[in-house]
Amino acid sequence: MLHLHFICRQVAGSHKQAVIFVLCVALSLLTLTSVGGFSSNVRSSMLQDARKLNGADITVHSHYPFSEPLLHAIHRYEQQGAVQGALVNRFYSMARNPQREQSMLCDLKVVEKGYPLYGKVELLSGREFSAVLRQGSIIVEQVLLGRLQARIGDALQIGSTLLTIADVVVLEPDRPVSFFSFGPRIFIAADDLEQLDLIKKGSRIQFDYLLKVQDPALVDQLADKFYAAAEMPNEHVRTYRNDNSRIKRFFDNFLFFLNLIGLFTLVLAGIGIQTSLYAVLRESDYTIAIMKSVGATSRVIILHFMAMVMLLGTVGTLLGLILSLALQLYFPTLFAKILPVNVNLTIPWMVVFQGLLLGIMVVSLFSFLPLQRIKNLKPAFIFRKETDRAPQGLLHYSTILIIVVFFLGLVIWQLKDVRTGIYFMLGLCSLISLTALITQALLKVMKKITFRSLIFRQALRGLFRPNNATRAIITTLSASLAVLFSIYLIDHNLRATFIESYPPDLPNAYFLDIQPNQQKEFTDILNMKAEYFPIIRARLASINNQRVNRAKRRVGMRDTLTREFNLTYRNSLLKDEQMLEGKTLFGSRLEELHNAGEVPVSVLDTVAEMGNINLGDLLVFKVQGLAIKARVTSMRTRTESKVRPFFYFVFQEKTLKDAPRTIFSAARIDRSQLSKVQNKLVSRLPNISVIDIASTVEILGAIMHRMSAIIEFFTVFSIAAGLLINVSSIFATRLTRIREAVYFKVLGARNSFVVKVLTYENLIVGLFSAALATVISQVGSWIICRQVFNIPYQALPASTAIMVAATLVLVIVVGLGASISILQQKPIGYLRDERTN
Amino acid sequence: MQTSAIKKMLHSLAIIFWLLPALLLTACEQQQAPSKPAQHPPPQYKGTIIAVGDSLTAGLGVMENEAWPALLEKKLQNNGYLWQVINAGISGETSSGLVSRIQWILSRQPDVVILETGANDGLRGIPPAVIRQNISNAVQILENGNVTVILAGMQIVQNLGADYTDEFADIYPAIAGKQGCLLIPFLLDQVAGEPGLNQADTIHPNRKGHKIVSETVYPYVLQAIKARPEF
Repeated sequence: MLHLHFICRQVAGSHKQAVIFVLCVALSLLTLTSVGGFSSNVRSSMLQDARKLNGADITVHSHYPFSEPLLHAIHRYEQQGAVQGALVNRFYSMARNPQREQSMLCDLKVVEKGYPLYGKVELLSGREFSAVLRQGSIIVEQVLLGRLQARIGDALQIGSTLLTIADVVVLEPDRPVSFFSFGPRIFIAADDLEQLDLIKKGSRIQFDYLLKVQDPALVDQLADKFYAAAEMPNEHVRTYRNDNSRIKRFFDNFLFFLNLIGLFTLVLAGIGIQTSLYAVLRESDYTIAIMKSVGATSRVIILHFMAMVMLLGTVGTLLGLILSLALQLYFPTLFAKILPVNVNLTIPWMVVFQGLLLGIMVVSLFSFLPLQRIKNLKPAFIFRKETDRAPQGLLHYSTILIIVVFFLGLVIWQLKDVRTGIYFMLGLCSLISLTALITQALLKVMKKITFRSLIFRQALRGLFRPNNATRAIITTLSASLAVLFSIYLIDHNLRATFIESYPPDLPNAYFLDIQPNQQKEFTDILNMKAEYFPIIRARLASINNQRVNRAKRRVGMRDTLTREFNLTYRNSLLKDEQMLEGKTLFGSRLEELHNAGEVPVSVLDTVAEMGNINLGDLLVFKVQGLAIKARVTSMRTRTESKVRPFFYFVFQEKTLKDAPRTIFSAARIDRSQLSKVQNKLVSRLPNISVIDIASTVEILGAIMHRMSAIIEFFTVFSIAAGLLINVSSIFATRLTRIREAVYFKVLGARNSFVVKVLTYENLIVGLFSAALATVISQVGSWIICRQVFNIPYQALPASTAIMVAATLVLVIVVGLGASISILQQKPIGYLRDERTN
Repeated sequence: MQTSAIKKMLHSLAIIFWLLPALLLTACEQQQAPSKPAQHPPPQYKGTIIAVGDSLTAGLGVMENEAWPALLEKKLQNNGYLWQVINAGISGETSSGLVSRIQWILSRQPDVVILETGANDGLRGIPPAVIRQNISNAVQILENGNVTVILAGMQIVQNLGADYTDEFADIYPAIAGKQGCLLIPFLLDQVAGEPGLNQADTIHPNRKGHKIVSETVYPYVLQAIKARPEF
């Protein structure tokens, strides 16, 4: 039989703590559901982007017309309605403007009805792509009109037929990510294929069958079926998930990071709830002692407190859910400016359910631990204020085990991957255990040291008073801070690798095959700042007298040592390069090398890794039959996200300047300028090829930009929420730290003394926690960045220092703020009361 | 925020670019067998043939000793002609690049030069007139240097359109006719367009393809050798 009255009075009695507890639960839930809902939304938005970029769910590819069995398999599923397909043929061809006698190489894409399966092809006129592209019409890129001096409505000669320009393409959704082209795009309707008469023996055509699968869950299954019907080795089948491109890695990493934040938030929420719950129950020690003294059984006491906690927990949970619903409603208005249009916050029921589960179950599970200690609680302990020495029984540890398993379940549910979930839990458990152990050790050490300053000594003693929760406070604070620090560090490194290292001066046009005697004229034509690189082709014959052969190629490496390389010469590092080993590019033993018939060479770390090349190794290159013996004198690495031209091997100018070479140039150029330059080049230096990467850059740039905004938002949101949770935790545990303040005052200490002691107490707690958190977060973030994401890791010492300082300030301010009331009260009031209110 | 290039795209692009001169769109392995060290030319060679060209000569996708210049040398020596064949093919090179390095080639003092170029120009749609001018210059310089030139006729992929492909194919007989060098009508005769004789990219011969190419070249090389004054 529950005494409601008792419960209500109990709540009223420690209402401050109760409020904090409820807020903690509510906040934790709010963060959890928002992050969860947001994350699932972002995830589907990103997958949609991936499909759009790929143009299909399944792509079947070949250099020859498709075989019968494969076509048969595809048609069967098309008839069933399981897939929708569109044939696309891509090839280069000359397009001629008969009126101006101008012709140029163009990148043709002959598409069936139904293309594009995902996304939209945007036209200059704004019309529907499928409406404009009919038999006899073509859609071209703007730059073609400039080059061929044609207009919309003019006819172009392509192959054996004349086709009319109907419109201009502004955006092509599935332009392959590894895209570069020697000519502008021309879209042609499949109906015109026969008229073109360009697909025949001796032609080089890319045949693609793009497939959209009705039921996304069947993608892999269907892909396997087509793979089985495909004719090896010519026909390839791939899905938008395994296209093996770098963009997929980028998406994967970000999605994982979102997951990570979700998990971290889960941990933070759990910690927050646990801390404030513990504080609530501690408050009631005295009451419990009295209840036991007057004869209440442990069972009754436990039942009532359980009920109280459940009541508060439920209130907190509901409050949290209401808040998240409110956030969902106001989300667009609040964040419309920051976030892209198609990402919204709709919290799926699953997430709500998860939140509810967490709120109620965690509260009850976590309260079980302190509550079951009531059984062994002797009232005398409380009255005499002795240190609690109740042994931790089997029940205690099995409860902890249940909590761990429960969390593991939630984690696995979130990640949808058992192995990663287990790793994460193991990591988390080690994090918390490690924190506890280190805290314990540090505190032991601190106990032994004596300090001269009275204030400091008192502060220290204060932390070790009986029934202190110092270890618990430091542990939870460190753990949650570690989580927050980690989020910041990982976020920063992810963005540094994928997004931020695209400086504004990055080249967007490459010029190939400039002959040395054409350089001056080229510079005149370009008439702007550009980078020039001499290119000498050579092969690597041997490393340390061991021949380079096929066996040297490492599995999984995208590049190989057995191909021809582009050697270059210069005397300095490129803008995005850094010395990894060696002081200067070519070292200081040039005389020695010269006498040995060798030349110095600087090697990039990526190729060094490929071939196991080290400083001091001997590399023999073959430059068209001529052998060059080169000694590795330095190693370089690229610091940005590898978006500039790179060079594996760099020589001194005198080594290679007489070798046959071409010049490669990279410039950042306006679209309008580029067509002018291209026109001039065509007439004066026609052998120079231009690779225009600007438009592809724009497409992906938009996506990256969006990602950046989203991730930023996520990070800030979780960190803000985490901070709030921390604040409430600190607040919740303030009581354990102010008791002495009163006694000091009784003994005659001024307020300033008390403030100083309190400050030092909070400072010590803050310092330990921040230091511990820093160490753990650095290690954890390093592991995640290097091992999971495979990106370079920056430790960000400045930011870390700021985070530590901010933590200290936070802990001190909140800790002091919570204790202000004590300072204002007359000690006698407190002594009479024995409990602060 | 900057609207600049994208890691993924540019990284792949950069990689592909650097493989581009190894003939566009393909990344294949290369095996470098140690060629005869230039520092110690074996004195017993009667003469030097240099095979100058692009990836079709360099042997993109096959080992160097499986490419047609190496096979040619073996065949020559097996038939008693102690001549060396140097492979000076550079993947991705256009006719302009070839002209640029023709002095370098001359400095190696060849007796016979097999000139094979133009395919990469064609793949980039460079005007045939430019190609013709370049090849003509190269042939002229070589002939002035007392080198016997064998010009390898080339054809370009049919999808470029009949106008271009016809004009392209005419380049080689025209130059041979005007400047009097030997002409192999089509280097890839019986090889081009045959799935079984080419690699996955459909334009580079595989081992079997190179074997046939070496046999196509052989009679013209014999002709050149026999016509040399010092023979």
